[in-house]
Amino acid sequence: MSLLAWCQWLEQTPLATAVSESVWLFPLIEGSHILALPLSVGMIVMFDLRLLGLGFRSWPASRMMRDVVRWSKFGFAVMFITGGVLFMTQASKAYGNGFFRMKLLFLVILGINAAVYQIVFYPKMVQWESAGSTPLGARVCGGLSLIVWIGVIVCGRTMAYQF
Amino acid sequence: MSSLVSFLDWCSRSSAIVFIRDSSFGMPAVQSVHLVGLTLLLAAILVLNLRLAGVSMMDWSLPSVERQLRPWALGAVTLVMASGVLMFLGNPAKYLASGPFQFKMIALCLAVLGQFGILRGFFTADPDRRPRPINVLVAGLSLTLWFSVGWAGRAIAFI
Repeated sequence: MSLLAWCQWLEQTPLATAVSESVWLFPLIEGSHILALPLSVGMIVMFDLRLLGLGFRSWPASRMMRDVVRWSKFGFAVMFITGGVLFMTQASKAYGNGFFRMKLLFLVILGINAAVYQIVFYPKMVQWESAGSTPLGARVCGGLSLIVWIGVIVCGRTMAYQF
Repeated sequence: MSSLVSFLDWCSRSSAIVFIRDSSFGMPAVQSVHLVGLTLLLAAILVLNLRLAGVSMMDWSLPSVERQLRPWALGAVTLVMASGVLMFLGNPAKYLASGPFQFKMIALCLAVLGQFGILRGFFTADPDRRPRPINVLVAGLSLTLWFSVGWAGRAIAFI
């Protein structure tokens, strides 16, 4: 089965047709997808600003990991579930949409970036904090995350104009 | 009142507003700015209210958390308001007649009034000396107000 055929099959699943045909479900799921932004991307962006040294300087990055970034997993759970359902309802249109493809590519880049941070920089956070400076690599991770997340929002908003 | 309407009408026909409204990337760009601003603004409000409710940032006092968040929240408010005004001016008559838009403006006024007026005392004084349920209640009320602004905004497109 080709990817496009799979997308067309997704649109015909009972879940996708139920959401498409309901007056309330689609707006409710789309609204949840947008309003989960602060709890997911917002928390990460605040952490990125801290890594870059642009804001929240009185909060050590390791504490922000514990007190701010921790909450983002709830936001991302909502994001992936609602985003998945939204994709199912209009899968073949999304498949052919350049902005949707770019959004997915950005998400892959962000996943790799987060994994690199988690493996390389996270274990030594307390050490570099007590030394008083954020390693260049960690700052690059933060800057990349900040820019690419904004790109995800722009692509997500713009793709809907082409549906 | 009629002079206000004619002023808005004049704005909506200005070349800059027409360009934003009618060019293929004008509205997506403005709405993207609106969403980026919303993300940062509501994230700051979330962190502030999580501290008030006593579930996060407990190593710092509420006023010091507020001080750290304030410049970013103000910057985000600027992005949201500027992009919001540009959207509104693209079609003032449509927005003014929209029920969700009217609701959004009322909710926005209540949220701002709550944050900087009625509920201000809860954010400036040490919350850890008040009974916890009161703080949780105020945090819930504040978050409900702010997020209902967002939901009303989304409803403008659907109703």
